[in-house]
Amino acid sequence: MLGPSVAWYLSVSAFLFGVGALGVLLRRNPLIVLLSLEIMLNGANLALIAFSRHQGQGDGQIFALAVMAVAASEVVVGLGLIVAMNRKRITLDVDRLNTLRG
Amino acid sequence: MTTLLIVVPLAAALVLWLLPLDRVSAAALALLAALAEVGLWIQLLIRFDWNERGLQFEQRRSWFSDLHVSYHVGVYAFSVWLIGLAVVVMAATIAYAVWVGRERARMYFGLMLFLTGAIVGVFAAQDLLLFYAFFEAMLIPLYVLVGVWGGPARMGATLKFVIYTMAGSLLMLASVIVYGLSQGTFDLVDIGASSSDWVFLGFVAAFAIKAPLFPFHGWLRDAYTESSPEVAAVLSGVVSKAAAYGFLRIAIAKFPGPTEDFRTPILVLAAVGLVYGSLLAFRAPDLRGVIAYSSLAQMGLITLGLFAANDLGFDGSVLQMVNHGLISATLFLLAGMVERRATTGELGRLGGMARGRPLLATVLMTTGIIALAVPFSTAFAGEFLILAGVFQQGWGWAVVGAAAIVLAAMYILRVISAVLHREPGTAVTDAALDLRPAELGIVVPLVACLLALSAWPAAISGHAFSRDEATRSVSQEFR
Amino acid sequence: MTVGAWICLLSPLAGALLITLAGTRISRRTAGYLSTGSVAVAFGGAITSFIGLLGKNGEERDHVSTAWTWLSGGSYRSGFEILVDPLSVMMMLIVSGVGFLIVAYSIGYMDGDKEERRYFAYMALFVFSMLLLVQGGNFLLLLAGWGMVGLSSYLLIGFWHERPSAIAGAKKAFVMNAIGDATMALAFFLIILYTGTLSFDHVFNIVQNGDSGISNSTPINLIALGLLGGAVAKSAQLPLQTWLPDAMEGPTPVSALIHAATMVTAGVYLIVRTHVIFEAAPKVEELAAGLGAGTLLLAGLIALVQTDIKRVIAYSTMSQIGYMFLGVGLGAYANGMFHLMTHAFFKALLFMAAGLVIHALHGEQDIRRMGGLRTLMPRTYLAFLVGGLALVGIFPFSGFFSKDSILAAAMDHGWYGYVLWVAGLAGAFLTGIYTARLFFLVFWGEPSAFVQEHFHKPKRDVVGISLAAPVAALAVLAAIAGWIQFAPLWHPIETWLQTVAEPLVSPAGWQEAVSSVLAVVLGAAGIGVAWLLYGARTRRVPRLAFAQRTLEHKFWFDELYDALFYRPSIRIARGLGRFVENPLIFGSGRELGQETRALGGLLGRAQTGLLRTYALAIASSVAVLALVFVVVR
Repeated sequence: MLGPSVAWYLSVSAFLFGVGALGVLLRRNPLIVLLSLEIMLNGANLALIAFSRHQGQGDGQIFALAVMAVAASEVVVGLGLIVAMNRKRITLDVDRLNTLRG
Repeated sequence: MTTLLIVVPLAAALVLWLLPLDRVSAAALALLAALAEVGLWIQLLIRFDWNERGLQFEQRRSWFSDLHVSYHVGVYAFSVWLIGLAVVVMAATIAYAVWVGRERARMYFGLMLFLTGAIVGVFAAQDLLLFYAFFEAMLIPLYVLVGVWGGPARMGATLKFVIYTMAGSLLMLASVIVYGLSQGTFDLVDIGASSSDWVFLGFVAAFAIKAPLFPFHGWLRDAYTESSPEVAAVLSGVVSKAAAYGFLRIAIAKFPGPTEDFRTPILVLAAVGLVYGSLLAFRAPDLRGVIAYSSLAQMGLITLGLFAANDLGFDGSVLQMVNHGLISATLFLLAGMVERRATTGELGRLGGMARGRPLLATVLMTTGIIALAVPFSTAFAGEFLILAGVFQQGWGWAVVGAAAIVLAAMYILRVISAVLHREPGTAVTDAALDLRPAELGIVVPLVACLLALSAWPAAISGHAFSRDEATRSVSQEFR
Repeated sequence: MTVGAWICLLSPLAGALLITLAGTRISRRTAGYLSTGSVAVAFGGAITSFIGLLGKNGEERDHVSTAWTWLSGGSYRSGFEILVDPLSVMMMLIVSGVGFLIVAYSIGYMDGDKEERRYFAYMALFVFSMLLLVQGGNFLLLLAGWGMVGLSSYLLIGFWHERPSAIAGAKKAFVMNAIGDATMALAFFLIILYTGTLSFDHVFNIVQNGDSGISNSTPINLIALGLLGGAVAKSAQLPLQTWLPDAMEGPTPVSALIHAATMVTAGVYLIVRTHVIFEAAPKVEELAAGLGAGTLLLAGLIALVQTDIKRVIAYSTMSQIGYMFLGVGLGAYANGMFHLMTHAFFKALLFMAAGLVIHALHGEQDIRRMGGLRTLMPRTYLAFLVGGLALVGIFPFSGFFSKDSILAAAMDHGWYGYVLWVAGLAGAFLTGIYTARLFFLVFWGEPSAFVQEHFHKPKRDVVGISLAAPVAALAVLAAIAGWIQFAPLWHPIETWLQTVAEPLVSPAGWQEAVSSVLAVVLGAAGIGVAWLLYGARTRRVPRLAFAQRTLEHKFWFDELYDALFYRPSIRIARGLGRFVENPLIFGSGRELGQETRALGGLLGRAQTGLLRTYALAIASSVAVLALVFVVVR
């Protein structure tokens, strides 16, 4: 097996996931939140592909493709929502969007 | 054949929901689908082989193979009659809705047809999970039908109905899962008998709420009086029978031991419900209240017959399920027609409607007379068999039953005279017309079914179970 | 022969259905003709069956014809079948024959009523039900006919449904009868439990052979009691007698048909039909006789003070059926059936004559306002006289032959029989008084002011003929029909019924003679007393306030039942509604809803609406889960 061991990939993946998670939790701009979310997904993707390669099976890669597809559609919807909010002159701050409070 | 019976109404519902039909064509399509369903059922009736034992028109496709869950449908002899009851009553209620002209026609008729398919599915399902799925699918449209098209207090009625049935459904789901997993299959035909009391009680609780049995009938009064008449007709005529069917097909057939152990408490509940419902029906101030509580009493009677757990009781119960389904559906529809004319169902404000309205009087009188189980009517035949069956478990049950039948005579006669006789009540004006031809077209077929059954109740009671010729016993048919 | 019987059974049903379906397409008069015609066809069918049976030997006069299996459950099954044997044919002849006359009479009586069609449909339905009752080939069909008869009597009593009293009377009759149906049904359950069948032959054989434990004293006594319950309910005997007087709210021909000639005698038929069971339970059979004796005295006493012309006759009906019960309860089946037949004639006659009086007086039924009708309605007067004399049992009218033979049978039954015999004789005396009282008050004396004002003569058109002809026919029958059987000399009815029900008693000649003489003397004495009080009016009617009040309240049976059953059940229903249904069950739903909502509100607080809280919650949950997984490993 060529290249670095799977542990390296996993640390990068964990790093990406952590950065994304912190972004989601700390930032208030929905655009950034969305970006961070994508980073988290990519972190997960990396882990999937790494394991896939480690095990020598294609399953993980197929999952990663599926995740990408989902991520893409999600971005479309999310960006669409953000643009719509902007057009309606709604402040782009996730802490202000609490209409769903019970 | 069986699948067709399930799919036709579902497909029609889908068409109604998807295509932007106008009011009239939506109603026409719904009616057509309902009648086609009746036609299909008649086909089933003709092609059913009454001498054959066991399941017929069976279809099985694996669904989750590792759990042994499959799409497995088929009909036993008694299911044929219950399916018949369902499709006939649904056709009549849909026709009534067409005649009344419900708001948001596409949605409404779609729901009614979906309900039809689900009910037929309940009666045909031969897999526990499938049964559960159809059972739930049957409840969803009902929530909407009661909650959206009901009377002024419909929200409370729906809430109660939902909470009660949800509680029952969850218990049933737990029982289904435990039972299926412990037996290694969910197939109702292959699955072995169980002796687990808790699983049995889970099923019984779900069915007792749905039937309803005393004291699980908290939802009954509101749901039957606040929903529109045709939905009340479906609720008490058909949906309650799904619960009785569940008792027969699952609780009794699959749990012989617990059935034996819990027979006395269940019989007590059924008998109490019978007397209690009759007494409250005697006191109820409005037309639909009386029918609602009489429904409670009748379900108690049917349960008595089922848990008598002998041939007389089984045959009588199946017959009585069909009888009561037809009777209460007819009565609810008639109540709806009376309420449309008088704007109220309060017995104190009705009266004198027989004068100048011979058709209404004749139809209501005939149905009422059959409802009070006058000897020679099919309801009498059913009650006679049930009580003869439960008599063999102990004399006391039948004595209670006989007393309740006298009470039934009292409350039905009270309703008949309160609506038809004496001087016209304050709510009855000359503008209240006799039944129109269309309304006759809706209720007369139901009454005709009842009269035909009165001439030959053995059509059902003698063809409900295919019997072992040697012992002439039904006990082994689906165990 | 069985074809005739089927025609007899189904023709009135067809008539009823035809009238119902035709609705307003046929005239009211046509409906009357249809109904009468269908009953006439039934009578024809009954005669064919009768002739058919005559041509057979005694042993072969028993035919069952099954059309289809009516009801089956488990191994039990009952066919829709009719039984043609001497007993059922005799009843068929009475029911359809008298029924025909009464329906024909109705054409005149109901003329001009707005809902004549409904009336005639009901009448035909009633005749069908009654025929079903007597022809039913097994216990179940007997019960079916039993219930249908109760139903059609409900419909007919409540025919004038705007009157609250008519509706109340109809309901009372139905519920009382339903009680009888219920006890009968319970008896049948017992029979099924022990024999597994409800066919007459099988059950009687098993009872006679004592197989399967049915003949042990408890079950057989309970079965007989259940049957007796049905019989006393239908025949208005103690203790279920209270409905009959209230049933007089129906049109008069209805009273004649149902409450005199046919329906109320069904109890007698039942006992004769199931005499095998009663004989196996002798105590219950004696109870039946005792109830009959009690009723005949009670009804005779109450009849003394009634003021409504129909109610007097109604009480006399109860009293006469008491005689029949007395007879069949002692095993004198043929005598009981014979009295049933003659009673059908003379009681229908009395009712229809009373109907003529009521008709002529614009619906007035209070005998205190009548009087002096002898000169105004001479033919009715004559008919009433014949009917009255037959009722009292004066030689040579029909009541003499049938009633006295019952009394004679009572003498042949030990000390118990003598007690009943004395009661029967006392009843004969009472019969004399109340019949003559009615007769004198209505027809003798001077026409009262009310009569002079309201009297109108029926015209001689179809209406008049339809009113008069059946009365005349019945008057002839009431006068001479008794000669069919003259106990000491010839007894064709006894021979005819021999194969069905062999009598248990055979009174000697001297017993017959003593009973006859005493009964006639006492009846005549009763008439004499009435003559002094109401005819010649030489004596004042004695005033006994308490006795009078007791009789006018019919021994307080209504009040008693009201207090014992009706009120408590209403109170229980109300109490259940107030203390169980509303707070516990109905309310439980409400509570449940509120609780659920409260719980929802509580959980709703977790729903901050802030995206980042959710994310944090998810992240921390995942962290905790991961920790748990690691630690648990």
